[in-house]
Amino acid sequence: MIQQSNKEFIQKGRAWFEEQGWSPFPFQQEAWEAHLGGLNGLVNAPTGSGKTYALILPILLEFVRDSKNYTKENNGLQAIWITPIRALTKDIQSAAQKAADDLGLHWKVGIRSSDTSSSEKAKQKRKAPEILITTPESLHLLLATKQYPKYFKHLKTIVIDEWHELIGTKRGVQIELALSRLNGMLPRLKTWGISATIGNMEEAIDVLLGDGKNTPYKIIRAGIKKEIEVATILPDEIETFPWAGHLGIKLLDKVIPIIHASQSTLIFTNTRAQCEIWYQNLLDTDSNLAGLIAMHHGSIDQKLRSWVEDALHEGRLKAVVCTSSLDLGVDFRPVECIVQIGSPKGVARFIQRAGRSGHAPGALSKIYFVPTHSLELMEGAALRTAVQQGELESRIPYIRSFDVLIQYLVTLAVSDGFRPNQIYEEIKQTYSFNSISEDEWAWCLDFIHSGGSSLQAYDEYKKVIIEDGVYKVDSRRIAMRHRLSMGTIVSGGDLKVKYVSGKRLGTIEEWFVAQLQVGDVFWFAGRSLELVRIKDMTVQVKKSKKKTGKVPAWMGSRMQLSSQLSKFIREKMDEICSGNIQDIELDTLQALIDIQERRSAIPSKNEFLIEYFKSREGNHLLFYPFEGRYVHEGMGALVAYRLAQLQPISFSIGMNDYGFELLSDQEIQLDESIIHHLFTTQNLSQDIQASINSAEMAKRKFRDIASIAGLIFKGFPGKQKKDRHLQSSSQLFFQVFNDYEPNNLLLLQAYDEVSNFQLEEARLRACLRRIQSQRILLKRMDKASPFSFPIITDRLRQKLSSEKLEDRIKKMKLQLISE
Amino acid sequence: MKSTLFTFLDQKLHLHPLKAIFWEEKSTLLLSDLHLGKVAHFRKEGIPVPATAEDENWDKLLYLIINFKPKRVLFLGDLFHSTYNTAWESLGDLMKQFNHISFELVVGNHDILSRDQYERFGLRLYDFLKEPPFLFSHEPCVDEALYNLAGHIHPCVWLSGTGKQRLKLACFYFGKKQGILPAFGTFTGMASIGVEEGDQIFVVAEDAVLQV
Repeated sequence: MIQQSNKEFIQKGRAWFEEQGWSPFPFQQEAWEAHLGGLNGLVNAPTGSGKTYALILPILLEFVRDSKNYTKENNGLQAIWITPIRALTKDIQSAAQKAADDLGLHWKVGIRSSDTSSSEKAKQKRKAPEILITTPESLHLLLATKQYPKYFKHLKTIVIDEWHELIGTKRGVQIELALSRLNGMLPRLKTWGISATIGNMEEAIDVLLGDGKNTPYKIIRAGIKKEIEVATILPDEIETFPWAGHLGIKLLDKVIPIIHASQSTLIFTNTRAQCEIWYQNLLDTDSNLAGLIAMHHGSIDQKLRSWVEDALHEGRLKAVVCTSSLDLGVDFRPVECIVQIGSPKGVARFIQRAGRSGHAPGALSKIYFVPTHSLELMEGAALRTAVQQGELESRIPYIRSFDVLIQYLVTLAVSDGFRPNQIYEEIKQTYSFNSISEDEWAWCLDFIHSGGSSLQAYDEYKKVIIEDGVYKVDSRRIAMRHRLSMGTIVSGGDLKVKYVSGKRLGTIEEWFVAQLQVGDVFWFAGRSLELVRIKDMTVQVKKSKKKTGKVPAWMGSRMQLSSQLSKFIREKMDEICSGNIQDIELDTLQALIDIQERRSAIPSKNEFLIEYFKSREGNHLLFYPFEGRYVHEGMGALVAYRLAQLQPISFSIGMNDYGFELLSDQEIQLDESIIHHLFTTQNLSQDIQASINSAEMAKRKFRDIASIAGLIFKGFPGKQKKDRHLQSSSQLFFQVFNDYEPNNLLLLQAYDEVSNFQLEEARLRACLRRIQSQRILLKRMDKASPFSFPIITDRLRQKLSSEKLEDRIKKMKLQLISE
Repeated sequence: MKSTLFTFLDQKLHLHPLKAIFWEEKSTLLLSDLHLGKVAHFRKEGIPVPATAEDENWDKLLYLIINFKPKRVLFLGDLFHSTYNTAWESLGDLMKQFNHISFELVVGNHDILSRDQYERFGLRLYDFLKEPPFLFSHEPCVDEALYNLAGHIHPCVWLSGTGKQRLKLACFYFGKKQGILPAFGTFTGMASIGVEEGDQIFVVAEDAVLQV
């Protein structure tokens, strides 16, 4: 029920809307009522639906309602608006500022992000804006400043925008922790999220509110749905279309007319390297596009990216080749058409990208899918069906991320210090640390205070000290180092790329630079660049006229096919098997299907395909669960582990989204009962644990954990040399923790992350059960099948061995410099 | 754990899996890149490497001294990781226990302690040391007459085999003009070394040293 008094203010909001020539959507007004009624909540609305006004207005109206003189200036920080990307801040700022001005409030709307100048930040510190638009990282930096509680004293509302983008990441955990602190200080604070639709909406609000969910809250659904048309670009000749690959350049000629036919097109690629290559190839192929297309990815300098965004906004660009860097962000009205190169891996991502076109209300969003190899054609058909059925992925929240917790505790120690009991009670209210035990908490405190092990006589460990029961950092060096390394987005040791004149182009990773020599030419940000020198973590370059050069790659993890999309792919496979082909994509694939059937088989819904063949490389054993790359990685390690228990053997494990390969120099004995044993769910947890340990998957996860928990120190800017004695790789840390401190929670977290996020143990278990119920189709082949080809050529492999090291060495030979 | 005898330039070199060489003719234990005090250095700066990781260095060093009973221990540089910390005293304590052994150091780029710290323990210092047929240095160098034995690189090699098998292992490297020892210290990394035809490589395989 709306309080009588709120009606008057909602009317004020409506009046303002009408002045703009708009009328509020029902969901907007619902949000105003709920917020003014003092509730927490979540607004479920897509980008470009007016979600900003759903929450900005009641924040302003509440102030008009509750203050004696609402036209007064300098009212202290009233509301915080968190957004995951800086590019969005300006739009929100101007929307909020305009509404505030029109309603007669003398409010300042400020932005604080890593782009904000230090003088502006100092100004904000002296005199807080009434609304602060900021990022999760910058919010934590505020918690790292002295006397922060004073700054937040007047805070009434915190809004987490694009919550769906944050929830499945460690930035989400950062938000949970910051909220726990703010709620601890301000019991009447209202927390609101804004989220696009995801598969786990209910869980999304659980994570946002934590135990605060016990207080009244409301989920408000906009119920806006967009029409999406999906078309796959088909190769003219399937016979000459590659069986493996991920670039998709072969179909570039067919993308060019699409670009010419629309006002503006966004071309989404899956990696930054692919983005560079497509941009270059488009220009090489069609010189008419020169000056009309641009590129955009996360390693390109912010200024250059902003230029591209503005140009796109103003309709000055025909096309932009981009990565997920443009998944979010302001609406680009001129964009009429979307092209997706290669698998988008998930239904939600595909729909999100499609939604970046056709902004007029009721307009159709058109998206073209460009397969990069033959089998991906199946995905085109699967995507269309998936979009029609609207089955969206869940975003699994991180739980028990001790790396983020440790960073947060040091953050609090750096500012005013903290009392353990109080903070323990607060973090236990969060979804992420709901299950933390007193022992684990004690371990965390010990880790920051005495460095993990009990202090020994000669130990000089120093980080957080205890003074009158307050945990604090008193060393300025340690405080400074902590502030510089805060955040949960871990880069691979980035170096800046600059022209000799000083103009910044972006960043590339250290390992790529290590392969370059002075005078070498490489492509970056769409430019051909010659390496002049490397100085102080900066790569100085000049323009080059050379047409060929290396293209940098960035590590970044590969995405895995979602379980939603893989289900649709399995369905398409079954349609092929039963001859019930309706999609043009599957029809196009016919010649390839014939080869697959001749050499091996197409499995039906009730069959599980295993292929076995020998080549000069060794004995190949292939399995096809169609469950996604990372599940296959885990299942590959599991199956390899179980086989390796039967005989001393070494495997190299390859995988893609469709299946995995075990490759060995030895014959692999297989019969019905062995195969049954390989996929049993008995002893699953122990076997998974054992195979994860031996397959080194956790080592990769530990890279980010070590960095977030403050183990990896990259050095103060401009002082790298002096700090070199403090540098070490995450792999070395992983090794020493494994050897000397096996109960270290950060180490255990790495193993947990592998089983929870990468293998998705629940998903793996369901998949094994499915295989158990299927008929095994074991095909011995003379040579590789079309299904197997992209897997056996995959280069990112795992290994697992039960042979003695000496025996393995005896069979191997030294790699010489020339190889 | 057993060492592998490698007769080289008429000298008997025992290559030990704890990443040390015992030079029989001169009763000398050769060790390189111990980086002692690295763990303590990190901890002092608030980076919590397990303190026990340092202990293994002492255990290994003791084991080698007791096992080979050398007259001399020659460190080929990077004995101590950084500026002074209490781990330096542990080295002093160990040296005191074996005061019949001569401890000598070819100075490496990490050895930045003041001279009196070395003198306090009676550690003999060299920039490089000529002792035919060898020239000892920290960073590899080339000499016309003598064969160079050095450290600094923390060498490892890649082995490969059928079935896309690959292994990375720390190694003792003996090239045409110079040899390089693996890094002794725990909590130190490795760098792969370019191997040419004719080089002799011994990899450290857990408890053994194997020529490949």
